[in-house]
Amino acid sequence: MIDRHLMKLRARDDVSAQEEQAIASAISVVKDYPADLTVIRRCEELIHSTLLLDGLMCRYKDLRNGERQICEIHVPGDFVDLHSFTLKHLDHNIMTLTPCRVALVPHERLRAITEEFPHLTRVYWFGTNLDAAIHREWELSLGRRSALSRTANFFCELHVRLGLVGLADDSGYDFPVTQIEMAECLGLTSVHVNRTLKELREQNAVDFRRGRVKLLDLAILRRIAEFDPAYLYLGRRQR
Amino acid sequence: MTRFYLHLHNRIGFVRDYEGTELPDLESATRLAIDSIRDVLSEEVRAGHMDLRGHIDIVDDVQTILAVISFSSAIELHLAKGNS
Repeated sequence: MIDRHLMKLRARDDVSAQEEQAIASAISVVKDYPADLTVIRRCEELIHSTLLLDGLMCRYKDLRNGERQICEIHVPGDFVDLHSFTLKHLDHNIMTLTPCRVALVPHERLRAITEEFPHLTRVYWFGTNLDAAIHREWELSLGRRSALSRTANFFCELHVRLGLVGLADDSGYDFPVTQIEMAECLGLTSVHVNRTLKELREQNAVDFRRGRVKLLDLAILRRIAEFDPAYLYLGRRQR
Repeated sequence: MTRFYLHLHNRIGFVRDYEGTELPDLESATRLAIDSIRDVLSEEVRAGHMDLRGHIDIVDDVQTILAVISFSSAIELHLAKGNS
């Protein structure tokens, strides 16, 4: 059940059988959610963290006029709100983009992990640091990259992150989100996303249609994106 | 709610909207078209050019054109004296 989570963790560090058991037994319940459901609202008091098992979720913030900025996409294997363990409520919302299966981990069991498994605690600390690094990269994209480069970078990041959990290969990956949701990630309108996708197709970089990202030429895509995966901390080392 | 499709015609050619957007009425679709034009133009201005010879067709499920929003109608343009 937590295979993808373990794939993500073990891509960067060792996780012992004992630690694996501790994670598995920390789960209190498994739940299924439909697509487009806000499952955690900002300022709501939280007593558990949510581990995404299947599907895609996102963090978002919105304005009073309904405009929404998606701040990070979550892929299977991600804790979507490990930071709620210390924050106790979030300053943002969490929503499903597709039908999702999640596992809930009560904060009291996370506390027990911090007391009994110091190395696993550091691995999870690394996880929240990694989320912060992804936010910084998105900030760079939203503030400074052109629409074309920003969109290319978005596809590159997801290719790496989905690849780590066995959901992407050299040909591409399934990505069943709408252009409107893409627009909310990229700070663009859906028409602008459409126009940008056309340009990426014409430059033979990537073709995104009908929920599938088809990599036409990864080297071209990465060049357009100025993609440097260093912010995803892909090195495997002891934490 | 109705599904509206916003097809873009501009200097890079024709960009078909395959997905469409669920909106309450044509007025909302028009607002989205205007926002979209401003968004596309702002990116072009950052790159140093602005070409107002474009438009967005707002169409329904059966591709009937409900409205045509020209780029020039989406912005108020003030030129320096002597320019036209």
